Amino acid sequence: MIKKICLGILAIAAIGAVGFGVYAYKPAMQPVTAADHANFPPEQVEKGRVLAGAGYCATCHTAKGGEPYAGNYAMETGFGTIYATNLTPDMETGIGSYSQAAFRRAMHEGVGRDGRHLFPAFPYDHFTKMSDEDIDAIYAYIMTEVEPVRTVQKENELPFPLNLRILQAGWKMLFVDFGEYEADPEKSDEWNRGAYLAEGITHCGACHTPRNILGAEKSSEEYAGAEIDRWQAPALTAANASAVPWNAAEFREYLVKGSSTYHGIAAGPMGPVVHAGVRELPDSDLTAISVYLADKVGGDDLDPADSDVVRASLERNAPDRRYRQVEGERLYTTACAACHYNAKQILEGRPDLGINSSVNQDDPSNLIQVILYGVNSHQGTEGVVMPGFAQALTDDQIASVAAYLRADRAEKAPWENLREDVTQLRARGPGSH
Amino acid sequence: MVNLKINGREVSVDADPDTPLLWAIRDEVGLTGTKFGCGIGMCGACTVHVGGRATRSCITALGDIEGAEITTIEGLDANDSHPVQEAWRSLRVPQCGYCQSGQIMQAAALLTDIPDPSDDDIDAVMTGNLCRCMTYPRIRQAVRKAASANRGQTQNG
Amino acid sequence: MAKNKILSRLGAGSPATALSRRGFLISMTAAGVAFGFPRTSHAAMDPEAADGVPIEAVGKTFEPTMWYWIDTEGRVNVNIIRAEMGQHVGTAIARILADELEVSWDDVRITHVDTAEKWGTMVTGGSWSVWQSWPVYRQAGAAGRTALIEAAAEQWGVDPATCTARDGMVTDGTNSITYAELVKSGITRSFTEDELAALPLKAHSDLRLVGKDVTALDITNKTNGKTIYGLDAKIDGMVYGIPMLPPTRLGSSVASVDDSGAKDIKGYLQTLTLDDPSGTVPGWVVVLGETLFAAKQAADQITVEWNAGETAGVSEADIQARSRELIADASSGAILPTETPDTTRAFQDAVDTIEAEYTTSTVLHFQMEPLNATVFRNADGIWETHAGNQWQSLILPTLSAALEVEPDKIVMRSYMLGGGFGRRLNGDYIVPAALASKQLDGKPVKLVFMREHDVQFDSVRSPSVQKLRMAFDADKQVIGMDHDAAAGWPTGVMAPSFMPKGVNDQPYDVFAIDGADHWYSVGAHKVRAIENELANQTFRPGWLRSVGPGWTNFAVESFMDEAAAKIGVDPLEFRLQHLIAEGYNAGTAPDSVGGASRQAKVLERVAKMSGYGTADLPADTAIGIATTFGQSRQMPTWTAGAVQVHVDRETGTVEVQKMWLAFDCGTVVDPDSARAQCEGAALWGLSMALYEGTEFENGNVRDLNLGGYTPLRMIDTPEMEIEFIDSTEVPVGLGEPGTTVVAPAIANAIQAAVGVRLRHLPMRPDDVLAALKV
Repeated sequence: MIKKICLGILAIAAIGAVGFGVYAYKPAMQPVTAADHANFPPEQVEKGRVLAGAGYCATCHTAKGGEPYAGNYAMETGFGTIYATNLTPDMETGIGSYSQAAFRRAMHEGVGRDGRHLFPAFPYDHFTKMSDEDIDAIYAYIMTEVEPVRTVQKENELPFPLNLRILQAGWKMLFVDFGEYEADPEKSDEWNRGAYLAEGITHCGACHTPRNILGAEKSSEEYAGAEIDRWQAPALTAANASAVPWNAAEFREYLVKGSSTYHGIAAGPMGPVVHAGVRELPDSDLTAISVYLADKVGGDDLDPADSDVVRASLERNAPDRRYRQVEGERLYTTACAACHYNAKQILEGRPDLGINSSVNQDDPSNLIQVILYGVNSHQGTEGVVMPGFAQALTDDQIASVAAYLRADRAEKAPWENLREDVTQLRARGPGSH
Repeated sequence: MVNLKINGREVSVDADPDTPLLWAIRDEVGLTGTKFGCGIGMCGACTVHVGGRATRSCITALGDIEGAEITTIEGLDANDSHPVQEAWRSLRVPQCGYCQSGQIMQAAALLTDIPDPSDDDIDAVMTGNLCRCMTYPRIRQAVRKAASANRGQTQNG
Repeated sequence: MAKNKILSRLGAGSPATALSRRGFLISMTAAGVAFGFPRTSHAAMDPEAADGVPIEAVGKTFEPTMWYWIDTEGRVNVNIIRAEMGQHVGTAIARILADELEVSWDDVRITHVDTAEKWGTMVTGGSWSVWQSWPVYRQAGAAGRTALIEAAAEQWGVDPATCTARDGMVTDGTNSITYAELVKSGITRSFTEDELAALPLKAHSDLRLVGKDVTALDITNKTNGKTIYGLDAKIDGMVYGIPMLPPTRLGSSVASVDDSGAKDIKGYLQTLTLDDPSGTVPGWVVVLGETLFAAKQAADQITVEWNAGETAGVSEADIQARSRELIADASSGAILPTETPDTTRAFQDAVDTIEAEYTTSTVLHFQMEPLNATVFRNADGIWETHAGNQWQSLILPTLSAALEVEPDKIVMRSYMLGGGFGRRLNGDYIVPAALASKQLDGKPVKLVFMREHDVQFDSVRSPSVQKLRMAFDADKQVIGMDHDAAAGWPTGVMAPSFMPKGVNDQPYDVFAIDGADHWYSVGAHKVRAIENELANQTFRPGWLRSVGPGWTNFAVESFMDEAAAKIGVDPLEFRLQHLIAEGYNAGTAPDSVGGASRQAKVLERVAKMSGYGTADLPADTAIGIATTFGQSRQMPTWTAGAVQVHVDRETGTVEVQKMWLAFDCGTVVDPDSARAQCEGAALWGLSMALYEGTEFENGNVRDLNLGGYTPLRMIDTPEMEIEFIDSTEVPVGLGEPGTTVVAPAIANAIQAAVGVRLRHLPMRPDDVLAALKV
């Protein structure tokens, strides 16, 4: 299928070759020297540090065990592996030779200093919405604070013709709505600030919006939820499956602490989103994003602690002396309940699994991932861990625990093929998050 | 090299990041109060606190707890007189004693979260900790006693 | 057999190299410094000390017997040869001595000693410790008191008869002097065996420590992580070992070992194929690493091919089928010396009979501390084993055969046990550690079993099959009873010389049949103990908390209810009618004074406590009762239990609502520990009745860890009431008896609640459902 579409695009490319050639051509920009990076005001550098964190730039530009920002992080894209570039100010192999203008063009248009089109694994489709001022701050930060590292860039592993950079221009023409964020006059300033951040630097849609067959976000299904690295990025719309509706306070708690009392924790690909930086944003910005997301989800402002859903779930968590009847319940009672306990209210950092997002979603991946590989100290609540049970429980046992949680605790329709999902996720390994 | 804080001390452990925390604590750091029971997180003998939460150290990889604060039975209280330990001694809970470090660590975490637990709360949380001497009746009683000792302290102080 | 030869050699008493603990440590330290030999830094001789090191005497000591000394500060150090595994045994024993010696409890410390020939048989099991220690340590205490009083009387020139001792002080009304001062002045009095036996003991009413509440000496360190178990042993220069187990317990051999996959693992050292002259661990491979995790990671990458032994295909069903075959063969087994072992006539004359078969599944010890042992040869050329163990005297000859040295070249150091329950009676787990060290020329090897290894290598409680028959005359009176019990025999495989012979001259394992020779007067009574050789070949049958009485009483006490129902008598009434202290069941001094009447008394007590027969209970809810004599006729602990259950007809779940137990154990030496032992034993009984049990599949047990093996946990723990009969009789054991009554009481309660009879342990909900459907 992909091949067919690609051929189609090639055909279009041939037909509109001349006009397209004009569109696609981007000139190289003049290189600068190290001396040109000096003397950014400290406030600007600090602002850039926070924004670079909010965009979790380092997460994708740092290889496992590698130097920060030095690139070669392998991104599995579904089309092939792309290795992130070196973002350090190294002159030869990094972006040391980028002028501020070249950096702006890269962020806004997805074009390298030398004029080549960048792959959209780099979310310039979001960064295009950022203000020059914010982009300049990030530039100032990288050039001032990041240690230059000399690297050997790994070759991307993309099949022909997807490796043709010229095609990226066509992709842009088809899918990217270039231009800085435009405020919605109907909404509050706070909402608009949140939207600016979420759609721009924090690029939430990059994971939470499903992509089309060519890997572009489907604008018609913004925030409808999507799979990433065999995790599920939940819907950030009314379709969100949480037992307790998200509201601004919950989003805020989640973005600040990496966990929300009534939903779950930031694990998997979401772990670094929170811990590598979003939470560095000023309070007002986190509130703004929360207000914006709460509006997208359409939640109310009621305190979930008083809700019937929560009370009922807590009751279902009470111990039952007949726990041996169901294998999943027996295993839960002996292996999980010692941590997943609550009395009359749900305590922060003690997820109640009956209302937990991972148990309520239509896809069991997140739950299975967490049972298999746990939650490390840099995911979820900082400094708190959940051990993985990959070596402790069999696929059947993990599936039985998941099935029990789904049926008896979340009281939702059973997941199909649980056992196979567990086997697949185990075979895939823990991933690099 | 993994950096941890154990019982308030900074510790660097030169071990494979896949090494279970349990073995690092016992064999590298040399604190043997934490015990090995089942190796699959289902008996609780290896329970320590990570970030204040009772955690099964036998299945917790060293590499997953970088920077976390760990408390073992040896560090629960400077004078070994945490209310849970006092209650354990006064009711003479331990028999062979092997599981009791884990039981005590689990109970201490429980009481931090739920200072006045019901019997159901105690059963739910402590059921993950196996005791082959079957000291369960006394554990149950001792958790209640420690809870009321805590309450007494709060009221008095 | 080589083992027996060595045993007899041990018995003949070649003088062991005397190793005083202190002298030994000093020599070790010197050697350690000078030559880099491994140095002991841990052991657990004094459970009160953070480092496990016993107190050292200040000044001279007075050592009236080998069981203790008193120093010039009046401190008493009591030597304990029993293993501490939760019974607080040292506290109980030291208290017996301290009471008779008349010293303050605050001055008493204990030392769990290393092996030495002078201690005689070192074994901790059978619930024997207090019973066996009672006369010995009382005499020892009396000896000290007598000597100290004599010394004081001599100083004052008075008649010793005018002096009394109390709280470490002798007084004659005018003068007084402390034991400390007397020791300082020098006492060398010692006693012959005959003198000891003749010493006057205190009257029961004068006992001051026995029966009084004190906190056991080992408790504090068990609340702060300082107690030292075998797993905590640390020897300088030690390497870690992880076993790789062959497919069968016996008869396997290693065909090939490929460790190429492990070569790159950091810390991996080497893989040993054990060469075992003792035949204890055939086909074993041990993977060595600088750390335990390195060894484990390496083991995961090492491929071993074995030639499997003959039992590789054996299943639980095979073993049980073999038991049934043996029971059907009237010529098999040993017939116990009951009063009237020939029941032929009774059954010929019977007007009516009842017969039932009872079976029990394999049960694991699953003691919390997985098996482990650390072994090395020290600077003096002595092999040291560092491990918790319950029967040093049993395994020493085997270690001697494995290491190919005389037993006096081996010393077993004492550690606290992270659970015994009988598993560590069989010290076989020390052998592979010894062999590994031997192959490394004495280098310290700490062998740690992962839980799955521990379980696969367990000396499990054998599955059992029992057939019971009872004969009634025309007046519905019981005139005879047959009890055939077949199972693997722990003593048969591990200590055959301990087996007595039955009336048909066949040896039998008392531990696999005790309980069947009950105190009910049933006319002719034939008890046949049958050894299942297929079980013995497939695994090492173990002694597991209560051993045989754990299954024989399930049969006897279930059957008593069935028999009572058969003739339409209330089960309590039926039992009391047959617990008559006459003839064979009259009891003998000193251990079973009162006989069956004492058993009747505990049964009546528990019936009263529980409201049996009078309580008004909801539907599908009932109380069942059972009574036993604990472990054996030689040392009866009169035991009775009642259990109230509710049966959920929908799910088959048996909810145990409450348990009541009554014991007559003679004098209660250590009331709190006694209660603790009974609580634990009763809950073990409950666990084996309803929750735990596994099966053999392809020569090994199916459930290797808690994912599939499901013992009792806190949530399953019901309310319990326990009472002891006041008594001044000889104290008998309490570690196991509570285990024996629970399963039959539950089976009887289920029958009373919903009318179905379950005859297999464990009684799972599916079994209840299946029975309800019939």
